[in-house]
Amino acid sequence: MIEPGAIDCHIHPTAAQGGPPAACADELLPFADRMGIALMGTSLGPTFWRRPTREQITADNDFNAELIARHPDRFFGYANLNPNDLRFSLDEIERRVADGPFVGLKLWVAMCCDHPNVDAICERAAELGAPILQHTFFRAGGNLPGESSPDDLAALAARQREVTFIAAHAGLNWERGIRAVLGQPNILVDTCGFDPELGYTEMAVAWLGAERVVYGSDATGRSFASQLAKVYGADIDDDAKALILHGNMRRVLDL
Amino acid sequence: MVIDCHVHVQGNRGTPDDRMGYLLDYADRVGIDRLCLSLGTSRDYSPDPETFRRDNDMVWRAVEMYPERYIGFCYLNPGYLQESLEEIDRCIADGPFVGIKLWVAMLCDQPNLDPICERAAELGAPILQHTWLKITGNLQYESTPHNVANLARRHPDVNFILGHSGGNWEMGYRIVQDLPNVCAEVSGGDPELGQTEMGVAMLGAERIVYGSDAPGRSFASQLAKVRGADITDDQRAMILGGNMRRLLGL
Amino acid sequence: MTDTAIIDCNANLGNWPFRRTGYNTPDALLERLARVDIDRAWVTLLDAVMLKNVGAANPWLAEMVAGYEQLMPVGSVNPTWPAWERDLAECVDLGFRGVRVNPNYHGWTLADPIFGELLAAAGEAGMFVEVALHMTDERHHHPLVMVPPVAVDGLLDACAAHPNVAIVLANVKNAPASQLARDADGELPGNLYFELSHFESVGGVQALAGELGVERILFGTHAPYYYPESSVLKVFEECDFSEPELAAITHQNAERLLASLQAGGSQP
Repeated sequence: MIEPGAIDCHIHPTAAQGGPPAACADELLPFADRMGIALMGTSLGPTFWRRPTREQITADNDFNAELIARHPDRFFGYANLNPNDLRFSLDEIERRVADGPFVGLKLWVAMCCDHPNVDAICERAAELGAPILQHTFFRAGGNLPGESSPDDLAALAARQREVTFIAAHAGLNWERGIRAVLGQPNILVDTCGFDPELGYTEMAVAWLGAERVVYGSDATGRSFASQLAKVYGADIDDDAKALILHGNMRRVLDL
Repeated sequence: MVIDCHVHVQGNRGTPDDRMGYLLDYADRVGIDRLCLSLGTSRDYSPDPETFRRDNDMVWRAVEMYPERYIGFCYLNPGYLQESLEEIDRCIADGPFVGIKLWVAMLCDQPNLDPICERAAELGAPILQHTWLKITGNLQYESTPHNVANLARRHPDVNFILGHSGGNWEMGYRIVQDLPNVCAEVSGGDPELGQTEMGVAMLGAERIVYGSDAPGRSFASQLAKVRGADITDDQRAMILGGNMRRLLGL
Repeated sequence: MTDTAIIDCNANLGNWPFRRTGYNTPDALLERLARVDIDRAWVTLLDAVMLKNVGAANPWLAEMVAGYEQLMPVGSVNPTWPAWERDLAECVDLGFRGVRVNPNYHGWTLADPIFGELLAAAGEAGMFVEVALHMTDERHHHPLVMVPPVAVDGLLDACAAHPNVAIVLANVKNAPASQLARDADGELPGNLYFELSHFESVGGVQALAGELGVERILFGTHAPYYYPESSVLKVFEECDFSEPELAAITHQNAERLLASLQAGGSQP
């Protein structure tokens, strides 16, 4: 059943046992091997900081840089940023992406992506060809302060047409999230971080097209398996599955 | 014979006398023979004795005008116990009324209800007690089927009629199912398909009676609950009139 | 019970989450309605109300009624969700003539601008819009799903702003219907219709027909949540309508409404 060569666009290096990047890789890679995950996009760090300081950002990005250095064939990185600190964010883009080895940017919940600071970040991302993995939720009862919705991302993407965005979690409330990003072809949705609800991938493919859907797991908080099930189990054709499992991310990362 | 066990003096067309005639025009069109009438125009949640006597006089007048059609149910406020017992004697023992109607003046499992029930037992008068289970909140002294169940256990020799089947009938029938002296009447709620079927299944057809809560409700919408139910014609006949004839000794 | 052909403008298929209704497949519903001599019905899908992705109900309903000429599907739209226009377009593609909205279950009101946007789009598409003012008695809602009825504030303004779109109030009770008649001061808009399944009180249908105008009344049962006998007994037995009035209420008004629908705006 397991197809080799999948690219997981969305993991975090939060090893169950804690410890340094080497320990994290040792814990994660055997599971990835068993599940046919060839390459993983990593971001954030062992602790999730809602509004990370410069020191926390630096530590997170250092952690992932070491993970990538140890296993360059298995990990690629999204630089973690806090757009409230725009100057540091732009500097970090230079240090981590322009100078390598990171290839994309990760924005979590420090600042809603409707803010002009995020536009400034997007302009540099466009120049560098770096995709942005933006956390998106439609949270029942209201989003966290600073948490972006797919509506916020759709508005940003309409202004920043040169940037490729990945709407992480498809908004969680995916029946609505898919609708919200429908009109912005530069937004892809990933499959990660919510329950393996039957019908998700089918709706995403029907509404957005298979070329706008990418596999991601949100490991290690989520299992590779539960999230892969959304692709393996979907009533879509094999070509669509191949695009979702690796083809689209190869295009996005120019591999 | 079709008996509607739950009708009120109400409305705003013409005089009270006119209304009693006009209500019969509609009853005739849907085939209702006898109407158990209670409450007057006061619509007082907690009437003083003067008010409930005046309300009962309106019913009395209708019964006198149309003795072959209206059946009187005597409205009381158990908060005025002595006056209520006197009213029972005036209307039922010494007058043409045959039953008792209790609305929302007092939760019906309070001790004041016991002397009223004892007198009702002596006179063979059934007690129609309004009940509702409102998720939006009952009135302060509005009884639920739980209150009726408590009272009915204390007075096995009185026949109680569970007004509106508790409104939330799916719960109401469950609450009174093991009390043979409680019948449930179907009036006052939306004509939701399945109500009468569930009542018959849980209580038996001999413990379900037709009522409308007219004129606030339409005779027809409430009759639909019986006419449209998936039950036998024998069961339908019991619900439409047979059971009330038994309760009233008609 | 009657010789008059009846169109039931408010029947339902599918499941209501809080009760097993029965009679909720096309065959069972038609058989149940036939007991009261109804052989045609407009049907919505009850499941649509509590779906989050309401638009998913439309292909579902279309599939359910395929091959049943007697059942006319009425779609469902939640205009607060992104891309609701796509749902409306899908209803057109599926051959639906109208869509129902449940503003109270979906978190909006008839005074919101979105209602006007929906009416404009429906008018362009040649569809009627049906507003269900409530679904079941609020006093017995599931304790975790208590939904107040839809307020009619703003409705008359919306009707006036979109005079070419037929608007049906379904599950409308006496009080809001009378309120609208009073608010309109005897001049209810020509594009507003009232479905009678929830009209109550002795002689209530007749009294409301007088207040609202017989030409605005549509026969409906709310079956299988309600006993369909309720509306039939109210209209044919309890009330004393003339033959022309009965014809208007039971089918002519509905037929006129449908005949008025045309893309680019209907002509009620």
